[in-house]
Amino acid sequence: MTFKKWLKTPKAYVAFAMIVYLLIASIGYKNALGIKNGLVAVIASVIVDIFMNMIKKRKWTIPDGAIITGLIISLILSTATSLAVIAGTAVIAILSKHIIVYKKKPIFNPAAFGLLLSVLIFQTGQSWWGAFGDLPAWTILFLLIGGYLLTNRINKFVQVFTFLGTSFLLLVLMAHFNIGDAMDAFRPPFINATLFFGFFMLTDPPTSPGKNGDQLIFGLLTAAIGTIIYALFGGLIYLFIGLCFGNLYSYLKKRSTSKVALSRSSMKKTQRSLS
Amino acid sequence: MAKMNKKWVVLCSTAIAAVYATGYYSTEAQANKIDMQQNAQIHSQSSTVAMNTTQLKLPQTNTKITTKTITKTTPKTTTNIKTKTVQSRNSSPNISQSKTKQSITAPAKTVQIKRIYKNGTFTGMGENRRGSIQVAVKIENDRIMDVEISDFGMHYSESDIVGLPGEVLKRQNAQVSNVSGATYSTQAFQDAVLNALYQAKNA
Repeated sequence: MTFKKWLKTPKAYVAFAMIVYLLIASIGYKNALGIKNGLVAVIASVIVDIFMNMIKKRKWTIPDGAIITGLIISLILSTATSLAVIAGTAVIAILSKHIIVYKKKPIFNPAAFGLLLSVLIFQTGQSWWGAFGDLPAWTILFLLIGGYLLTNRINKFVQVFTFLGTSFLLLVLMAHFNIGDAMDAFRPPFINATLFFGFFMLTDPPTSPGKNGDQLIFGLLTAAIGTIIYALFGGLIYLFIGLCFGNLYSYLKKRSTSKVALSRSSMKKTQRSLS
Repeated sequence: MAKMNKKWVVLCSTAIAAVYATGYYSTEAQANKIDMQQNAQIHSQSSTVAMNTTQLKLPQTNTKITTKTITKTTPKTTTNIKTKTVQSRNSSPNISQSKTKQSITAPAKTVQIKRIYKNGTFTGMGENRRGSIQVAVKIENDRIMDVEISDFGMHYSESDIVGLPGEVLKRQNAQVSNVSGATYSTQAFQDAVLNALYQAKNA
């Protein structure tokens, strides 16, 4: 694939958006630590990705997926996180991409899965600094512009709208009935996290469904489970847990579809041999 | 799979923005209340920081001397002895002991010196965009005797900052070292201790 062709792929859109966000956030926070963390996460991700591809004897491709995973991890983990923990999180994410698979495609979103395990293993703190969590509220516009461009490119509006609509509706109900901490969820940095997650993590093509009906259920399930977890326990990992359930739904759907397709083709074969 | 019509995109975006706006404005009153509390805290902390870093570091030996003299004297003279000892915190133990003896022999001469902090347990609150922390700080004779996290309302794990109360006790001030990966919890904890010290400050 030529570079010009690659630039038109969804992965190029995401990679470009993540690099731009990394630069904007670094300028906004007047802190270059994030760029250093980004480089470490990308290098760790790419090394493990290439290594796993060599073990699996796969054809060489640009490790753009690994670069995106590394960038997302570095934009979510606090800039104060140690480099070893950042690299460790990236390694977990890429290993999950190669180990927990169905038909060579990852079941779970690598970045979300890596970050979730990172909290459990390393007790990492997520600041979502790359989603401009502590910058002025108008910087959310950058998330919306990048998010709409990507969602339009990969045709996942149904999924994103269902996710955001369900999340906000459930949070309104939480606020009305005084359950959990709905106030925080409507304000930075939580709203930044929700938008960043909805536009750039939820829409990952290999781990989310393509059909509109499936996108609707996927978005609904991710939002509902995530918000319920937030209402019950608070914290910052509710989005990742919700997405893991959404990914599981997507996997089960793919599996059931391929089983149906397999049984249909075998039926056709038997009919042909009988005739 | 057909692309979503632009009209539908606009319509759905508007609907979602409306739901978001409903949630935002329905929680506005609560957010304003917290903002006011935070502003009050910032005001109180700015006046406490300077005092806190310079005046709470008492040498360990002075405390021992004070305790020793209390056991030797009557309740009336104890007050005098304690205040004298605090006053001479930079002097050597021998000098403070001799002063103690003098005050026992001449109990009528009372010198009232104000302490910087009241004795007792004081609660303080620290908040930021990631939640809040409430601490209970126990102060005796201008020394921080105990720090306890009485309410942890951060969106992170409490285990990240379990070592911070011990650090406050060791340093005898609110300046704690930042916990890697728990910057926001560290900040909130530090603000809470400063707030408690402000509550304890003598008028």
